[in-house]
Amino acid sequence: MNPILSVEGVTAGYGRVTVLHDISLEAGRFGNVGLFGPNGHGKTTLLRAISGLLQPKSGRILFDGQDIAGHSARAIVGAGLIHVPQGNRLFPDLSIADCMALGAYSPRARPHEAENREKVIKLFPKLAERWRQRVRTLSGGERQMVSIGTALMSHPRLLILDEPTLGLAPKIKDELCASVMDISRGGVPLIVVEQDIEFLLELTQQLYLVNHGAVATEIKPGESLDHGEIMSMYFGH
Amino acid sequence: MSALAEILFGGLFQGSLYAMMAVGLALVWTTIGVFNFSHGVFMMLGAYIAWQLVELGLPAAVAFPIAVVVMAGVGWILQASVVRPLIGRPNIVLVVVITTLAAGSLIENGALTVWGPRSKQIPALIAGNTTIGGVGVSLHQIAIIVITPLILAALWMFLNRTRLGLALRAVAQNEDAGHLVGLNVTALYGLAFAIAASLAGLAGIFMGGYRFMSPVMGSDPLLKALIVVVFGGISSISGPIFAAYLIGFFEAACSYYFGLYWTPALLFGVLILTLMVRPEGIFASRSRGLA
Ligand SMILES: Nc1ncnc2c1ncn2[C@@H]1O[C@H](COP(=O)(O)OP(=O)(O)OP(=O)(O)O)[C@@H](O)[C@H]1O
Ligand SMILES: [Mg+2]
Repeated sequence: MNPILSVEGVTAGYGRVTVLHDISLEAGRFGNVGLFGPNGHGKTTLLRAISGLLQPKSGRILFDGQDIAGHSARAIVGAGLIHVPQGNRLFPDLSIADCMALGAYSPRARPHEAENREKVIKLFPKLAERWRQRVRTLSGGERQMVSIGTALMSHPRLLILDEPTLGLAPKIKDELCASVMDISRGGVPLIVVEQDIEFLLELTQQLYLVNHGAVATEIKPGESLDHGEIMSMYFGH
Repeated sequence: MSALAEILFGGLFQGSLYAMMAVGLALVWTTIGVFNFSHGVFMMLGAYIAWQLVELGLPAAVAFPIAVVVMAGVGWILQASVVRPLIGRPNIVLVVVITTLAAGSLIENGALTVWGPRSKQIPALIAGNTTIGGVGVSLHQIAIIVITPLILAALWMFLNRTRLGLALRAVAQNEDAGHLVGLNVTALYGLAFAIAASLAGLAGIFMGGYRFMSPVMGSDPLLKALIVVVFGGISSISGPIFAAYLIGFFEAACSYYFGLYWTPALLFGVLILTLMVRPEGIFASRSRGLA
């Protein structure tokens, strides 16, 4: 299978600081992709470059064969590449209903609005109970559901999740992990950044360790490692 | 009886003008997070364009809407030229105060060159006078008192009941998240400025219908609009609307009981007191949202 996304030699950063150094990786060839690595080594920056929030300084980003590097975030959303950012800040004073309507804002997603709303409600029945409630008044877990739900309303062809379980209590986290597995089974390929390696091993078929803004190690299917080995990669030898 | 009628009428009338001005300032602040100091010049320009069109022989009913639409374009262009290029810079609030002041002063001097310093007047919305509760009032002023709430209600409906309005409220709250659902953030910024400029232009037309116009006619209303948004809280549009009428009534009452001369001093006194009690009323809280 051709990769749905391939990042080729991307360099990017903030102002004069370079965070990503000539990073390359592929997604969608073997299934879902997981990214992990120490804090502050550029995972979020990579996702921001992919979704057009940050203009790469050089390199190519091919989505479905098209180079999207440097395209506007709107064009990239329009192509079906949807990014759920880290930290679910969302739109604090909008209701869940408003967020869902915004998720379906792009012309590509608009015709599927009703059908996607059904899907989101089926996946996260809790949201239906709080449909008119403001995002700011929701719990962390519920906010994460709204984030992911909004992304599903955008009718993703590829869904990127940045630390979806960050800061959630174990029970909520398990529920959310199960929902993410459901989304994947529904046929949406995923790229997921996570600190929880167990979850990544369960969800994804291919892993990348991102270190100092580059891929330090790639783990392909068949090369599955155990937890201990991954931990030793995290912390050096 | 006539005292009450006079204060009530004066307050409604002044409040209407302040609300039309302040709502545009607040709209730009909540969506883009900048203060537009050329807002008063928008008011002046709207009035002059309307005057020019009437001079050219157009009936007021045609000239006024055209002027309002032209002002939307002016707002858009101003945003694209002196605001958009600066988005993302540090100190954006201060920088934009300076660029919009500069642009405003250029436009003001341009208007002086084109139209000259002689004061002008445009036709009233409705000609004629009447008496209400023993107070003589012009039909023009009554028209303003009636039309303004309708326009503000329409704006509220647009922001709260349409998808485009929802998009405007959304960028106001989280620009990155707006990008990630595919909003055209630049266009929404342009739209916020266009709406603000149209409303200011309309306020200018209202004012030019009962008072003589001059190229600096916008500076006092801008100052008042600033007071209104500071007083009413900057991070919504309902706050300033409320405050606009409150200040309108306050001014009307002051000038009735203490005279026009004392009114500004009293107004500033109240403003300073408000800020001492509720300092978060101004820039301190940068949380934004349209409601
Ligand atoms: N807006 C920004 N401006 C300047 N530097 C930034 C900005 N955002 C991130 N950085 C820097 O870029 C580097 C990489 O950050 P990034 O958020 O990509 O890391 P990460 O791998 O996602 O970390 P975490 O696991 O903590 O989320 C860090 O050194 C960070 O300080
Ligand atoms: Mg991160």
